[in-house]
Amino acid sequence: MPETMDELEERISLLRGHIRQALAAGDRAAVPRLRAELRTAELSWDSALLESDDSVPAPSPSGTLPAGMSLFPVREQVHQVLTVLGVAAAPRLIVATHEALFAGGLIATKLASLRRDEERSFRAAPYSRPYYVCAALAADQLVAVRGLLAISTWPLDRRIMGPLSPRVDFLTAAIRLVRHLQTTGELGPQSIRLLWPFTNNIPGASGPAEEFEPSRLIAAAQAELRIHEESDRQQREAAAERARRLSDAEQLFGGEQLKAVRSVTKR
Amino acid sequence: MTVLTSLAKALAAYSMTPQQLTVYRHLHISSKPIVIVPLTLAGETNAPLAAMVGPDRARPTLIVTRQPRDRAERIEFAGRLASELLFPIETAAQQTQATGAGPNARVRVVDAPQLWVPNPAGIEFVRTLGRMTRLRFIEGPWAVPKKVRDLGIWLTWFAEQAEFADTGALIAATQAIAAVWATGQSDLEDGNLAAQMAWLAPPEGMDVAAAVSRAENPQLCPPAGPSTDPTFDRLFLEPALRDLATARTPAAHNAVHRRLTAMVEEQMRPTWELVWTAIDLLRDVPEAPRVPKRWEQQRDRFTSFHRYVADGGRPQAKRDSAGRSAHRLAELEQRMAAFEAQRAYDDPLVIADHRLTGEAFAGHVVDVDAARRVPGLRRNVLRPMVTVATGDQIHLDVGQHMYDPARNGQQAVIESVIETEDGWRIELELQNQMGSGLTAKPGSVPALGEDVTYTSVTETFVRRRPWPTRDETPWTHGGPPPDSTPVVEDAAEDWS
Amino acid sequence: MSVVDERLNALRGAAPRKPHNARTLAALAANPGCRRRTLLDAAGIDKGQIAEGLGVRISIGQMSSIAIARGKGFEAKVKADGCAELLRLLREHIGLPVPEVHYHDLNPADADDRITSRLRRSQRALQASAESNEPTGTLFDHPILQLTVNGVQVRIEPDLIAFKLGNQFFIVEIKSFAILDGTADSGKVAAAAQQSAVYVLAMREMLQTAGLDPAMVSDQVVLVCPKDFSNHPVAELLDVRKQLATLKRQLDRMESVESLLRLLPPDLSFDPRLDAAGRPTRDPQELAAAIFQVTARYSPECLGACELGGVCRAEVSGMVPVLGRVVREDLGGIDSIKEAVELATGLREPDAGQQQAADLLRRAYGMREAALGAVR
Repeated sequence: MPETMDELEERISLLRGHIRQALAAGDRAAVPRLRAELRTAELSWDSALLESDDSVPAPSPSGTLPAGMSLFPVREQVHQVLTVLGVAAAPRLIVATHEALFAGGLIATKLASLRRDEERSFRAAPYSRPYYVCAALAADQLVAVRGLLAISTWPLDRRIMGPLSPRVDFLTAAIRLVRHLQTTGELGPQSIRLLWPFTNNIPGASGPAEEFEPSRLIAAAQAELRIHEESDRQQREAAAERARRLSDAEQLFGGEQLKAVRSVTKR
Repeated sequence: MTVLTSLAKALAAYSMTPQQLTVYRHLHISSKPIVIVPLTLAGETNAPLAAMVGPDRARPTLIVTRQPRDRAERIEFAGRLASELLFPIETAAQQTQATGAGPNARVRVVDAPQLWVPNPAGIEFVRTLGRMTRLRFIEGPWAVPKKVRDLGIWLTWFAEQAEFADTGALIAATQAIAAVWATGQSDLEDGNLAAQMAWLAPPEGMDVAAAVSRAENPQLCPPAGPSTDPTFDRLFLEPALRDLATARTPAAHNAVHRRLTAMVEEQMRPTWELVWTAIDLLRDVPEAPRVPKRWEQQRDRFTSFHRYVADGGRPQAKRDSAGRSAHRLAELEQRMAAFEAQRAYDDPLVIADHRLTGEAFAGHVVDVDAARRVPGLRRNVLRPMVTVATGDQIHLDVGQHMYDPARNGQQAVIESVIETEDGWRIELELQNQMGSGLTAKPGSVPALGEDVTYTSVTETFVRRRPWPTRDETPWTHGGPPPDSTPVVEDAAEDWS
Repeated sequence: MSVVDERLNALRGAAPRKPHNARTLAALAANPGCRRRTLLDAAGIDKGQIAEGLGVRISIGQMSSIAIARGKGFEAKVKADGCAELLRLLREHIGLPVPEVHYHDLNPADADDRITSRLRRSQRALQASAESNEPTGTLFDHPILQLTVNGVQVRIEPDLIAFKLGNQFFIVEIKSFAILDGTADSGKVAAAAQQSAVYVLAMREMLQTAGLDPAMVSDQVVLVCPKDFSNHPVAELLDVRKQLATLKRQLDRMESVESLLRLLPPDLSFDPRLDAAGRPTRDPQELAAAIFQVTARYSPECLGACELGGVCRAEVSGMVPVLGRVVREDLGGIDSIKEAVELATGLREPDAGQQQAADLLRRAYGMREAALGAVR
């Protein structure tokens, strides 16, 4: 029997009162249950309100999909972005890039479980997919690096993270992003916002003028890249050499794989 | 703190009743105070969450942001607060009177606005909100409504006024209460308005001990803000904010917002009531004689700042120039010294503090030579001699200037100090306020046997060399400061 | 396991161990004379649980979940993209050369990564860097450090980055309170400086143990905070020499835990005997009796720094320390509020040592009564 709005309203304030009383009396054990009840009441209140409201929710603008929906599965969207970036990347950058380049609607929380799902699939039937979204490996311990996603078809050394690699990848991503944006057309405000962390944090990338200059960013990134590139390549290749002794699954998802995955998905 | 204050605290703790620290109230209380109880979102830099505001205890205005992390919402919040505060400011400014009859008479407002917040953190909120809004532009791409910028200018002024010891412009309730009463707990606990008020106005039928224990339970007595209770954040606020962010339709958004409003009101209402109770309690304490004069000066300051704003005055700079800092520091010291002296002259409990430290003494007149004259530059002048016997411990020397609070600070010089069996005998030569004749005005010289008090604390401020003007700022202090004009970066400042 | 460790574990009983962190160490150093806190912290006892077991509510040490989330978000932003923002700040503020962008992740590799193995890894990495002349290992993210407190080795897990520039290590503290127009809340800066001092000291101890020069760790700390009302980081150099000196002096002055233990009965236990739901089941009176065997040194500041503040306040109810340090000084060292009042009102004759204080109190009381009487 659904309650009326007024009844729900009353119940919500009653429950809030109960929780406060329980807390005031030091009865901590009672709080989680009351809290769950309150949550349920709040949700039914919100939905009851929606039902009672005859105004139609604003339709989404034509031509774009409602938020949270895409024609492609998550793994394909991630693949799309990583292919542009060309380096292992964190969910934050992947989501931002997707928003600027593609339709958007990629949700960071969905990426959290992606690597684990991919690993499960690989272990069940190795190489049955053309690519897997996999891990980057720490150069020293060859375990999965927290929070980074990569593509299985890349050369192994590109997925190795040595001490210089975070910076090298950051610079590489900057160059590749600008080039991609240049070939696909105008640099709109959204693209400039996406490039802002790069422009702001690479020496010489932002000019004296307010105007954003893509060629300047590329030149600045290349200049710094030249400094780190060679040592980074050597370190990565050496580590990759060691990593080839690991099993295929470990090469993709890191040594001590089960544990490593757990820490990635832990929030 | 002084021995008298510490003793009062001990007496309060022993008797479980608050103890008066001053006989009088030295703060002007407006007939129409405006109370602000602000709440901010934890972890952010002064992100307003809600405020309860207004001059009417029974009908507070409740302002609740729709999304505290959103820049536009912060401007909206400031705009609504501006509507509440700028109106009384304007109203007060419109009603003026002449300061006197002569040609030099100026205009002064009949009454000035007085803002109340629960605690010193509330003053910080006012200051920071002022900083956040006063440098906005009112035209161009980052424009905000003019009232938002004006609010910023005014909040900054109120917060600056609150730094002065004698202020009546912006008051923290905990401090106003602590100036009059000692409770039997530490200053740290007095910083919690609910715990402090538990001593002064415990709930019906509850003794002080029970009231204090209740006041320290944030579930029963929410913190006075602007920070909210972490448990409230976790159990109520965080889910509501999450729902606000995910609400997809305007209707759902409104529904969640109504829920948010109800729960922040529950958090602010007890504090709102406490601030008003504090104001009522203070109003019942008799006002010290020198309060009206100080309030008059505060009305002058309000009048002149209002004219500055009305004439299109620029918002206050982010940082004071060297010259302005020095000026302010001097003014802070001067007003503090004058306030301290005025309190001492007005209040027997305050002068008692000075007696205990040896900067004042009380006794009775044992000898008077009211007609004594001494050779002056051209003729003999009237210099009565008064001898006072006191049992107070004194630390005073011959030649020191003393002042008589009962005779408007009449000046006397110590001629001799002699230790006796039960204290001291002090000879004082009176120097002014006896009229221009060769005999003293009636009552201007203490009579034999009269109880008198003298103190070395003086209200008159010795003015130092005048400060250089703005354009004369020496190079050692950076030279004349450039005009402070808000720049585009200020107007476009990111508030995330 | 050493005898001291065994005794400390026995004191804690079955309750889970709560390790020291920089905040507890800084608080301990702020009140070094408190034996109760010293001992409970050394034993890794959850003081909040004890307070709850004694029926005293605690609101200390609780941080708003909203503030924590914002703090984590800010830290993640500063460290994002291979610490891109941090590198820019370090380049701007202390002239970090462009080639030095090495990043060494010392975060737990996974949930089962034991703290001891992380400590070893941190020590190896930092020592290797200290011994090397090459500019390798510029940034060390989340190292585990160790500090000797009361003769016991305490591991601390700072949320920070250490980095090496030339021959100097610097500590970077990322905090989410704002620097507004170049200034920040002085209380928060002071707290950050105190915590940083703990880290500096711990890192120096580590280098010294390894036979390296402890002076390699700079007493200048890089504080990274949001600028004004924004989310953009700015950096300031913080001089923690004063905090270091204070901390060192107080750590030196602290009694060793071993000698404190010698004063206590061997079967003493502070275990609140938690049930499955985490509620204490031990008789509060029995627990209180155990706790009160170790003396505390209460001042009102404890209420903001120690979960047992409320417990100790109740214990010394009626005593002058509850009114604060200044009152204590003003009342001339008289401990009991009742005694102070009776001396002031003349109900009690002062003993030899109290004469001076009593005279002052009596005069003050007389003046107070006269002033209030005149207007009554």
